[in-house]
Amino acid sequence: MLGKEFFVGRYRRLGWEFREASPRQAIRVNVMNVDGVDVVGRLRNLGVELEKVPFLQNGYWVVRSDFSVGATVEYLLGYYSIQEAAAQIPATLFTDLKDKTVLDACAAPGGKTVQLADLMGNTGVIVALDVNGRRLKALMNQLERCRVRNTVVYLLDARRVSELGLKFDRILLDVPCSGNFAADENWFRRRTLRDVERNAKLQRQILAEVVKVLKDDGEIVYATCSLEPEENELNIDWAVKTLGLETVEIDCYGEEAPTKVFGKKLDESVRCCRRIWPGETQGFFVCKLRKRR
Amino acid sequence: MSANSESEGEKLAETEIIERFARLFGAKLLLDGSLVAKRGKRYFLLNQKLKGLTEKYGGWIYAGTYLGKVGRGEVFHPSFQLLFMIADKAKNRIVIDDKTAWLFVCGRDIFKEGILKIEGSRRKGDYTLVFNKHGECLGYGLIVTNLDLLQSGLAVKNLLDIGDFLRRERQAFQEA
Repeated sequence: MLGKEFFVGRYRRLGWEFREASPRQAIRVNVMNVDGVDVVGRLRNLGVELEKVPFLQNGYWVVRSDFSVGATVEYLLGYYSIQEAAAQIPATLFTDLKDKTVLDACAAPGGKTVQLADLMGNTGVIVALDVNGRRLKALMNQLERCRVRNTVVYLLDARRVSELGLKFDRILLDVPCSGNFAADENWFRRRTLRDVERNAKLQRQILAEVVKVLKDDGEIVYATCSLEPEENELNIDWAVKTLGLETVEIDCYGEEAPTKVFGKKLDESVRCCRRIWPGETQGFFVCKLRKRR
Repeated sequence: MSANSESEGEKLAETEIIERFARLFGAKLLLDGSLVAKRGKRYFLLNQKLKGLTEKYGGWIYAGTYLGKVGRGEVFHPSFQLLFMIADKAKNRIVIDDKTAWLFVCGRDIFKEGILKIEGSRRKGDYTLVFNKHGECLGYGLIVTNLDLLQSGLAVKNLLDIGDFLRRERQAFQEA
């Protein structure tokens, strides 16, 4: 089962009418590095037109720029990162990150790792894992460019994280996913339901593993850039029913997630998740979890 | 020498290679050797929490503040994080104008005409940090002509600039 018609039909059944989308380019100011520097002002002086993203504290849309915003001195000095607006949401959902021990389980290429370090003010520790050595190279470059000092990186599959023997206060699960058509113009041609199901299975394995290393009062933020419910609501429903987790109310951009998916009734608490349909941002799904109390 | 003092000796040597690099710019850098970790040929500065963690759970590939690596011929290649650490302490520094700054970041050498200010050594063969007019360190270079005598032309050879991040990204993209 594949093809645009098939997937668009599924989105319709979830309550969204398909329309083409072109996510806007966005940047995020790295507050930890800009002490006294007016980054936005400097970019504007260079001719970059910016607009504040209303649902993000440090995010700006790039309205117009005659050159790549990844080729400015300000970027190279780590004053800002190029990060899609929806992708800036997950790290902001944790409560109180200062001095915490944080796991970024699928960290490469590192945009969210840098954001976590920024929100932590370089305090505490981030343990960043990924299975892809090449992508980890990109992550390490980002850490150096953005002057991150609190992170340790392992080439390790998140499904083996318990081997580290560590317990975490906060866990970011930006899990590998099928992606979405707004971020990949060939998405409908390339993806099948089988891909989606394979990714969903991998995501469940990762979820099940990280629960073992979550402290009793810890928090997990689960995120995908997939629109497919198998990787989102259905996985969270499964986690709530089998892993002893519960969802937590979050206040962020996006729609309440559906609790009835393709005829299947899900746990009512799944509504706490947020689903972002493509538009100004790419498609996204985010959810906050903790151990059931 | 006991195993313990041998490892203390190694630690001293590890700190020394970095502190010696800082001295090239007239900067005095005092690192706590117990917090400097070596991974392969790369050096990292840890905090206490990271130190405990990396000692307990080996196999890490990057930790804390990346300081640089030793390359061919045992030459030390600094990280930008190290350059930023010594930027405030360095005596040898030049400030360059906007156009020169952009060219420098693109990998070009510095001509005397683009230099706004020189502090510390002006002597041929010495090293100097390079700053833009905002006081931001963009990299470092080698003074190739006595700057007091030079009226115009090539003054500082580019040895490392922050545009390296872009070049690395491009390389990674090509490899992918």
